[in-house]
Amino acid sequence: MSITDLIYLSQKSLRSNILRSILTSLGIIIGVSSVITMISIGSGARIEVEQQIERFGSNNLIVRSQSSSNRGVSMGANSVNTLTLKDMEALKEELPAIKAIAPRVSLSTQIVANGNNWLATVTGTTNDYFDLGNWKFENGRSFEEEELASGSRVAIIGKTVQKNLFDTDSPIDEVIRINKVPFTVIGLLDAKGGTAWADLDDTVIVPLKTAKQRLVAKKFPGDQIRSMTINVRSSELLFKTEKDVDTVMRKLHKISANGNPDFVIRNYAQFLNARQESSRVMSILLATVAGISLIVGGIGIMNIMLVTVTERTKEIGVCMSVGAKKRDILLQFLIESLMISLIGGLIGIALGLGVIFGVSEYFKWKMSLDYMSIVLSFVFSSSIGIIFGFYPAKKAANLNPIDALRYE
Amino acid sequence: MGDNKLLALDNIDLSINEGDFVSIMGSSGSGKSTLMNIIGCLDVPSSGEYHFRNNNVSTLNSNKLAELRNKDIGFVFQNFNLLPRLNAQENVVLPLLYSGKNLKERNQLAIDALESVGLKDRVHHRPNQLSGGQQQRVSIARAIAGSPKLILADEPTGALDSKTGLEIMKILNDLNAKGITIVLVTHEDDIASYGSRIIKMKDGKILEDKKNVNN
Repeated sequence: MSITDLIYLSQKSLRSNILRSILTSLGIIIGVSSVITMISIGSGARIEVEQQIERFGSNNLIVRSQSSSNRGVSMGANSVNTLTLKDMEALKEELPAIKAIAPRVSLSTQIVANGNNWLATVTGTTNDYFDLGNWKFENGRSFEEEELASGSRVAIIGKTVQKNLFDTDSPIDEVIRINKVPFTVIGLLDAKGGTAWADLDDTVIVPLKTAKQRLVAKKFPGDQIRSMTINVRSSELLFKTEKDVDTVMRKLHKISANGNPDFVIRNYAQFLNARQESSRVMSILLATVAGISLIVGGIGIMNIMLVTVTERTKEIGVCMSVGAKKRDILLQFLIESLMISLIGGLIGIALGLGVIFGVSEYFKWKMSLDYMSIVLSFVFSSSIGIIFGFYPAKKAANLNPIDALRYE
Repeated sequence: MGDNKLLALDNIDLSINEGDFVSIMGSSGSGKSTLMNIIGCLDVPSSGEYHFRNNNVSTLNSNKLAELRNKDIGFVFQNFNLLPRLNAQENVVLPLLYSGKNLKERNQLAIDALESVGLKDRVHHRPNQLSGGQQQRVSIARAIAGSPKLILADEPTGALDSKTGLEIMKILNDLNAKGITIVLVTHEDDIASYGSRIIKMKDGKILEDKKNVNN
């Protein structure tokens, strides 16, 4: 008896009881969709972490001034810009593990060009900012030393700003007005894409000195800065350097070891680890659900197949009387349970894809469809069908033809 | 158990020649079903021997028995025993599936067999769309599709009215005329009288074995 004949006979009997077949495969459906979702969440998180590192640069620490309260009030007497360029120089000098530091001042303001209006974050910094943040230039160039030193009115803009001010036209050599001050655009940054909380391309970058003189003179007087990005020489040194920066900063700001610091050090790796950890917990949860439902699904298949064998005892007797061997009967029932589990697997894959699509759309979670997970699901569901279908099939094959024929 | 060992068949010495039409009669419990199962290679005797066309059936394993049933024996049952999900043609094809005939050949054989029992226009009907007599004719078609040497008919008219029963007997008679050996189990005298030899059984023994002179 050929395999196509077996499949033909099996689908005939499955179709005669279509609702039962689908209900039977429910456990497999849930199990397989969990497997697919689980793997997607896992690999999605991994890819997201890799992309974040790609975006923000690895081995970076961010030091920013911290307000104890009144964060919104950024100007006036209780200004909280406690970080200065002197701190930056001191850190560079004291800690050899630091490769580079990019200072940053920023404000959110209106940009006008080409008759268009756009609100963007303007950053004043040095050329290190581009290296540390993994920024690439789509067009144009970074700042000249001379421009940085003299405080020239030149700007480098991100893709979102370009789109809103110039549409698809080249912005290079165009004049934009930041806070009414005219700047010449000298560079266009490559798109980095958005994260869940911010559009990284909605940015305008100008030389630190220019920003301090013309845009944020009141907000960041003297050598005050908003934050600095510290690039550490290697990832092994990251945590030690974080501690060292804390020590040096406390000394500079005259804060005791257990006092409340007026700065905060953010380690991007920490955030990424947390993100990875939460998706790992989610994956373990789903793996448990998947495992349990696959086993329960398998038992469901076994249960229904035992019922089917009993129901069709007489039929089995008839098949045996016309010449079916034990092997034919065994194969027929095995293929039937295999088909139930494979149909369950297919529906499960479809459902899993739906869940992946829904979650990534709705929660803006990065989910990556791993083709291995589809292969894995097929392997899972078919082995469940064979393992749990074997006992009922064996039972059918071992029926005595006379008893089976006589069964009512 | 123990001493009161029940013998379904006791001291049976029987030989059936090729081309015979044998009717086996007896009340229930007479052992005729057991005898039928052994002749049909569905069962092997616990002691003694049964030879079927140069095979010592008593020594065969279940696979060999299945092969013998598939190639040389056709069964016709009282309750037709057709598979309800399959149409007439698919039911007739069933034994040919197990003998590994290819698709084209087995479909042709099935249609030929159905035609020979007068069901050419019912090929795609399911059992529940057919009358009792038609169902029994499908089951005869299933029995002859693999061109067997022997047909075993177990009360083939038992579930049919007498007119339809006679039609079925006529078909069996025609098959016998073509050289197929027929063993018929029945408890009705007029059905048994189609046989050229009538065997009467009681308590596992052969009570009477005689030629039927009327036939």
